[in-house]
Amino acid sequence: MSDQAHANPTGWRRWVLSTNHKDIGTMYLIFAIFAGIVGGAFSGLMRGELMEPGIAYLTMFTNGDVDAAKHFFNVLTTGHGLIMVFFMVMPALIGGFGNWFVPIMIGAPDMAFPRMNNISFWLLPAAILLLVLSTMIEGSTYPGVGTGWTVYAPLATSGHTGPAVDLAIFSLHLAGASSIMGAINFICTIFNMRAPGMTLHKMPLFVWSVLVTVFLLLLSLPVLAGAITMLLTDRNFGTHFFDAAGGGDPILYQHLFWFFGHPEVYILILPGFGLVSHIVSTFSRKPIFGYLGMAYAMVAIGVVGFIVWAHHMYTVGMDVDTKAYFTAATMVIAVPTGIKIFSWLATMWGGSITFETPMLFALGMIFLFTLGGVTGVVLANGGVDTAMHDTYYVVAHFHYTMSMGALFSIFAGWYYWIGKMSGKPYPQFISKLHFWLTFIGVNVIFFPQHFLGLAGMPRRIPDYPDAYSLWNYVSTVGYMITGVGTLVFLLGLFLTLRSKERVGDNQWGESATTLEWTLSSPPPFHQFNELPKIK
Amino acid sequence: MNAIAENHKASNLKTLMVLLVILACMVGLVAVSVPLYRLFCQVTGYGGTTQVAEEATGVVLARNMTVRFNSDVNNELPWHFKPVQRSVNVKVGEEALIFYKAMNNSNETITGTATFNVTPFKAAQYFNKIDCFCFTEQTLVPGEEVDMPVSFYIDPEIAKDKRLEEVKEITLSYTFFRAEED
Repeated sequence: MSDQAHANPTGWRRWVLSTNHKDIGTMYLIFAIFAGIVGGAFSGLMRGELMEPGIAYLTMFTNGDVDAAKHFFNVLTTGHGLIMVFFMVMPALIGGFGNWFVPIMIGAPDMAFPRMNNISFWLLPAAILLLVLSTMIEGSTYPGVGTGWTVYAPLATSGHTGPAVDLAIFSLHLAGASSIMGAINFICTIFNMRAPGMTLHKMPLFVWSVLVTVFLLLLSLPVLAGAITMLLTDRNFGTHFFDAAGGGDPILYQHLFWFFGHPEVYILILPGFGLVSHIVSTFSRKPIFGYLGMAYAMVAIGVVGFIVWAHHMYTVGMDVDTKAYFTAATMVIAVPTGIKIFSWLATMWGGSITFETPMLFALGMIFLFTLGGVTGVVLANGGVDTAMHDTYYVVAHFHYTMSMGALFSIFAGWYYWIGKMSGKPYPQFISKLHFWLTFIGVNVIFFPQHFLGLAGMPRRIPDYPDAYSLWNYVSTVGYMITGVGTLVFLLGLFLTLRSKERVGDNQWGESATTLEWTLSSPPPFHQFNELPKIK
Repeated sequence: MNAIAENHKASNLKTLMVLLVILACMVGLVAVSVPLYRLFCQVTGYGGTTQVAEEATGVVLARNMTVRFNSDVNNELPWHFKPVQRSVNVKVGEEALIFYKAMNNSNETITGTATFNVTPFKAAQYFNKIDCFCFTEQTLVPGEEVDMPVSFYIDPEIAKDKRLEEVKEITLSYTFFRAEED
């Protein structure tokens, strides 16, 4: 069986019919950047509207109709959530960095099922197209899905009689199928295709993080698929799963959704954890502290993450003993997470630390994710949550963990690996400017939202009482700063790709010890036709 | 396929099979989620789900219980629906028969269905309904009024449950909805 039986593909076939994990990873990253811009634009429209009390300018999109503008705000909210979760963070971390580096790090020539890898990617543009189309067709009285990313019944059933919700459901089916197939691919690859000598306990932590993540995907996504299919049949085929009048229960939807939804948020952050371990180790010039603890902390987070879902549902009229259980179980997750934070600190302690851009983003991630984590511990309390549920305190919490935890880990990985992927160095000053603008910007957006939540401002509202105006104004100013930061990132991306300089095999020196640093930058189209020797 | 992938083909397919089984299990779990949910509530009395019985056990205790009756009607249903009696005093174990009255105030024939539960939630495991109108759809022509019976008893096992020592009052609540026209 000759490896050179055919030449490497070129032209449109190289991309549309790709079976190469590096090319597919590249496509995922490009897709994530585009989706991130769209999702960020939606949140920009939202923050612009929220800058001052009153309905400011969304009526420009709805021919002056105020009610339509308020629905449009809900459509933006829904789109922002779905796009950032399913079309930005997951494609970037799992599809992008996962595809690129998991095979290389375990010494494999490619993924277990390269053609299924291709399908996983190309399902995503189809899925996002369906979502975009849904914004243009009738939802409720007005176009688009205005339910929030959670798509709860009965708003999503009897409250949205038009076909927009059905399109959104199909979009989620495709995205879910894409991820399930990706999960199968990663599990088979990691379990079966490690180079000789690479035992599970010698695998790099990024690979561990992807392994735990894809198990979560495999187990949780079918439940989402079931829940949204039941929504579809309630809407179109006369079933009454979530309709009390028919003997059903809207709370059933919430249970099914959050049984998926809670593992989903760990899916969004775990690969970032893996990435941060690599980066902190590289730029502290020290091996990661407590490798086994780090690996099994991620496993623990994944396992316990399956039995805490009802902390998203404390206000549905739940039994107090049930609330007590979920409060306790949710708090338990803080323990393995804390082990990770302290291990990163212990890695840096006594190390020789330099502050290249990837390290800046990694350190930012650790600090800001910790802040998000502690507000999560606050919200874990069923009692406190009675006041905080559906307020901006929750919005602040998950944006700290996601717009700072997950996003900073994506940027950290970007700067860590862009030289390896493209062969070209990133521009130093621009990258640092991007970091500082983003760091300051996202904190100005989201820190004041804690105050808004504590003061009682509900989420998912396009207008608010005057008393909330100051922090809303400040928050929007933060968006503008972040927006500039994003433009700087795009400028840096352009300058990187246009750069005449070249990067060597190992951009970061001795402490970058994983297998990708033994290959050229960029790596050859096919690598490890001869298996590497693992010590 | 290159040589390395060839070597792994068998093990990859084996892992794939295992994963597909796991996937099928998760899909199966959500497919039976409705019966599972119902079963869980029935067995544990969670959320105030009452028990169903054929007839009372015959054991009657000296302990008294006041059973109050509540009624609600969904907006879409133009019916008048109220319990005939506000409450009854029964002995634990004693079989009781009470009535609700429903009247169709509109000018069209409407079918309604009812859901129900009991508070405090922890008492529901011991609240046994022998017969009630809740399991069937009720059709009323315009202006028609009916008396709907409920017969129930409180399981004497309640005396053995320490958590329910202080329960002296149980409230049975029905909500009537308009049934979907098929």
